[in-house]
Amino acid sequence: MAGKSGRSISNIPESPIKKLIFGWEGILILVFIGVNIFCKWFSEYYNMFNLLRQMPVYLAEVFLMLVMAFILVMGEIDISVGSTVCLAATMACIIANAGTPMPLVILATLAVGTCCGLVNATILTRFSELPPMIVTLATQIIFRGIAEIVLGSGGSIALSDTAGFKAINGKIGSVPYILFIVVILAVIAAIILGKSTFGRKVYAIGTNRLAARYSGVAVQKIRFIIYTLMGTAAGLCAVFMVASSYGANTTTGTGFEMDAIAMAVFGGISSTGGKGNMIGGIISAFIIVCLRIGLGQRNVNGQVILLIIGVLLIAAVALPNIFGSLRKAMKK
Amino acid sequence: MKKLLSVLLVALLVAGLMTSALAGAADGKKIALVGKSAGNAFFEVAANGFKAAGEAEGAKVDVVYPEDATADAQIKVLDNLISQQPDAICISANDVNALQAKLEEAMDAGIKVSAFDSAPNPASRQVFINQVTNDGVALGLMDAVYDIAGGEGKWAILSATSQAANQNAWIDAMKALMEADEKYAKLELVEVAYGDDEPQKSTDQTQALLDNYPDLKVICAPTTVGIMAAAKLVQDTEGCAVKVTGLGMPSEMLAYTGADDAHSCPYFFLWSMPDLGKMAAYTTIALINGDITGAEGETFTAGDLGEYTITKADDGGTQVILGPLFKFDESNVEEFAKLY
Repeated sequence: MAGKSGRSISNIPESPIKKLIFGWEGILILVFIGVNIFCKWFSEYYNMFNLLRQMPVYLAEVFLMLVMAFILVMGEIDISVGSTVCLAATMACIIANAGTPMPLVILATLAVGTCCGLVNATILTRFSELPPMIVTLATQIIFRGIAEIVLGSGGSIALSDTAGFKAINGKIGSVPYILFIVVILAVIAAIILGKSTFGRKVYAIGTNRLAARYSGVAVQKIRFIIYTLMGTAAGLCAVFMVASSYGANTTTGTGFEMDAIAMAVFGGISSTGGKGNMIGGIISAFIIVCLRIGLGQRNVNGQVILLIIGVLLIAAVALPNIFGSLRKAMKK
Repeated sequence: MKKLLSVLLVALLVAGLMTSALAGAADGKKIALVGKSAGNAFFEVAANGFKAAGEAEGAKVDVVYPEDATADAQIKVLDNLISQQPDAICISANDVNALQAKLEEAMDAGIKVSAFDSAPNPASRQVFINQVTNDGVALGLMDAVYDIAGGEGKWAILSATSQAANQNAWIDAMKALMEADEKYAKLELVEVAYGDDEPQKSTDQTQALLDNYPDLKVICAPTTVGIMAAAKLVQDTEGCAVKVTGLGMPSEMLAYTGADDAHSCPYFFLWSMPDLGKMAAYTTIALINGDITGAEGETFTAGDLGEYTITKADDGGTQVILGPLFKFDESNVEEFAKLY
């Protein structure tokens, strides 16, 4: 059966190594190596030290991608996460400025994000026929709206004591904490999506929601869990956003949902559902991060960087189709 | 032939030495200028002034814009710049506090940090290049009202919104000045109207002022939207003797500026953006060379702009002030209208 993206599902099991090398992940690894060679050639400042130093602001968005991948595999979308990050970051600053100890501030920030996720989850499972795009568009406006009201006329809040959040920016050697957290969570997310029954159910929902339901998959329960976790991930992202700017403002997190979706889609996770895996998403996230840092170090115009990433995205979506038709032509 | 060649080479060498000796105080230094966002013509005028002054002194100036007008995008730009290790960064901040972590990191890495146009908080910078102080705006505008009204009579203010922080600071400073100085005793401020920086509402408010105070002499609008709306309405109204002044953009005020009765605005003010950029460049170079550290009371020479002293800013940091308001009248408005 040929899917919408043109990749076909074969009933002959392939060896996993062969799949990794000749599949999309293999191409991504080549692209990753290519991008790094290009950046090294392009920018004289591109080295391990600077890469690790510049990475944290981009890595915060990878948290979003980890859960966004689950939502995309289900064939759904959540475009409210950028606003959730904004609201959670705003609340984090207010709670921290009230003199709350740091561990509680982090927990509270995660809780605010989780609550936003709960709102999405409740609406989407209670009224399961509503399109996620529209519901999360509405909550996108609502969450940022609340943040803007809380922030007031100045539109910005600053931490009165920066020590706690400064510690989050800490490093072991020259490796920032956030990289460890990203790697650990990525491994966990990859195992859940790729190896667990929960993950298989997510694929089942994405391939055919109705068939999944009739086979006894608790579709609404799984959707509820994933949309709620999406909020938690946004809360985690918010903690690191506050740490990078010692505050929050009305533009915090703008466009993060699209960055997260772009990372996942470039990694081969189809937005129509049921396809792709976490490894692809993670490699593609690092490709985008390295490319942005390498180009940025030579002061390439920000719009041009976005344009290059846009072209890469279209290529990522189109390539499987081109390969698919090539393979068909060769078989004939 | 060999002799000729060697003479030529020596001549070249001497010429090379001469030019490098002639070149400025910032030879081979790298300065990065960070804007708020790309495509702001007003800012680009200042950036060009900065670049010209910096390069005249021998520095290499890179103007960098973030991908959008947010603090987050500026943080990414600053990260890139810290990797490049320039000698100095001069920034127009998108948020007062959000850049503190990165700008502190830059200063820790030995990069000098100055700011102009829009200031980050005192902890994020060594010095801020301020276009003009609140008192400077108030004094310039009050003297204009005094001059245009002929020393006495009724006048009104057309402001933006009633919550706009800078507008209120200027209006309060003007009121304080009127009370403090006997010179303005015969001027009567009849009303502060609010046009919300919308052209239509500003026009309506101007009409209301004209209707309510038939003997009104001057309308002072310290906002670019307000002054344009007021100037247009007054000029289009037959036989209206009211005059308009305030803060405006030369390109928008070109049609209304003139000393005769056919024009509604004899002169208006703003700051000179090319000079602001130039000033920022000289201040940044002074930081690089160690002539100043950004502490209160230090003095330095900003090229042909003259001698400047660092003073305390309202936010607790330090600043240098470009100078009093810059006056635009029929003699120079056309020239500046081409720029902004």
